[in-house]
Amino acid sequence: MAFDDLLKKNSVRSPWLFRINAGSCNGCDVELATTALIPRYDVERLGCRYCGSPRHADIVLITGPLTTRIRDQVLRVWNEIPEPKVTVAVGICPISGGVFREGYSIDGPIDKYIPVDVNVPGCPPRPQAILEAVALGLKIWKQKLGLEA
Amino acid sequence: MAGFLKVLFRNLLQGPSTDPFPLVPETFTPDRLRGKVVINQDLCMGCGICSYVCVAGAINIEKREDGHTITVWHNSCCRCAACRQYCPMHAISLEPNWHSAHAEADKYKVIEQKTIAYEPCSVCGKMIRPVPEATLKKLYVHNDDVDLNHVRSLCPSCRQLEDARRSAGLPPAAEKKAVE
Ligand code: SF4
Ligand code: SF4
Ligand code: SF4
Repeated sequence: MAFDDLLKKNSVRSPWLFRINAGSCNGCDVELATTALIPRYDVERLGCRYCGSPRHADIVLITGPLTTRIRDQVLRVWNEIPEPKVTVAVGICPISGGVFREGYSIDGPIDKYIPVDVNVPGCPPRPQAILEAVALGLKIWKQKLGLEA
Repeated sequence: MAGFLKVLFRNLLQGPSTDPFPLVPETFTPDRLRGKVVINQDLCMGCGICSYVCVAGAINIEKREDGHTITVWHNSCCRCAACRQYCPMHAISLEPNWHSAHAEADKYKVIEQKTIAYEPCSVCGKMIRPVPEATLKKLYVHNDDVDLNHVRSLCPSCRQLEDARRSAGLPPAAEKKAVE
C-alpha cells in the first residue's frame, strides 16, 4: 500500500499526454503540436510529454467532431488508456460538433460516447488556452488519484 | 566560429524565450485577437441577421411578446466574426478574451446571454423594441425639429404616419393615454 502511494505521488509529476484525432481539420492538432514543440509555450514545464502509446497515457487530448468512419477506432484506442485518465476535448468540434454539427458523416459530440472532463473551445484554441486546459486536467487527475480534495 | 559565438552571446543576453504562463497568471494577448463574443444589449434589435449568418449555429434568438433573449454558446462559436461583420447595429463584438478552458459540468453555462425588454408604442400600444437613441439621431440628422423622445416611443407604422403628418404640416398625433 505504501509503495502504491509513493508511486502515485511521484507519477503526478509526469502526466503523459496522448493525442487522438477524431476527424479534425488538423487546425487543433497544429496548435497541440505548437503547445508542445515551440519553446515559447513548452508544455513540458508541467511535466507533460507526448507519448506514442495509449497504454502509457494519463491525459488524453481529443480533437475533431468524431466522424462515423473513425468512431470505432477512437473508442478502441480510448478504452486502451488505463484508468484513472483525464479526457480533454480540444476545440469546438469534439465539444459540440462546431461548424460540422449535424453533418451526415458526424457522430459527435464526443461526450455522447466518452466521459469528458475538460473542455477548451476555440477554432482552434490558442496554445495558452490549451496550456490552461492541461493545467485544469492535471488538477482533475490529482483528484481522481485521491491526492487532492 | 566567430558567428557561432555571436549567436551564443546574443541568446545569453536575451534570456529564455519561454512564456512563463501558466505558472504566472498573465500572458501577452494581441489587441485584435478574436475571443469570446460580447453583445451590447443597448443596440441589439433582435433582427436575427447574426444567427442567420452564423456558420456554427451558435446564436439563438428567442422572441416573446415583451422582449427577446439573444444567446451565444461559446462552445459552438468558431470565432469567425461573421456576426460582427453583418450586424447592422454593430451590437456584436469579439473581445480578446481567450480564457476558455472549463470543466465538463460548466459545458452549457459558458454562454453570452442578453435579454432586451420591449415597450408599448405610445400611440397604438403595440409592444416594440425602441430604436436606440444614437441610431435615431442618425436617421433624423436633417430634421432637427423632431422630438426624438416622442419618435422613439412609436411603433414603425405609427412612426410612418407621424412622418407623413409632419410632411403635411399637421400637428403630432395625440398620445393614447391622453385620448382615453
Ligand atoms: S475546432 Fe476548428 S480548428 Fe479544431 S478541428 Fe474543429 S474545425 Fe478544425
Ligand atoms: S446582434 Fe445585431 S444582427 Fe444580431 S439580432 Fe441583434 S441587431 Fe440583429
Ligand atoms: S463569431 Fe462566427 S461562429 Fe461565433 S457567433 Fe459569430 S458568426 Fe457565429
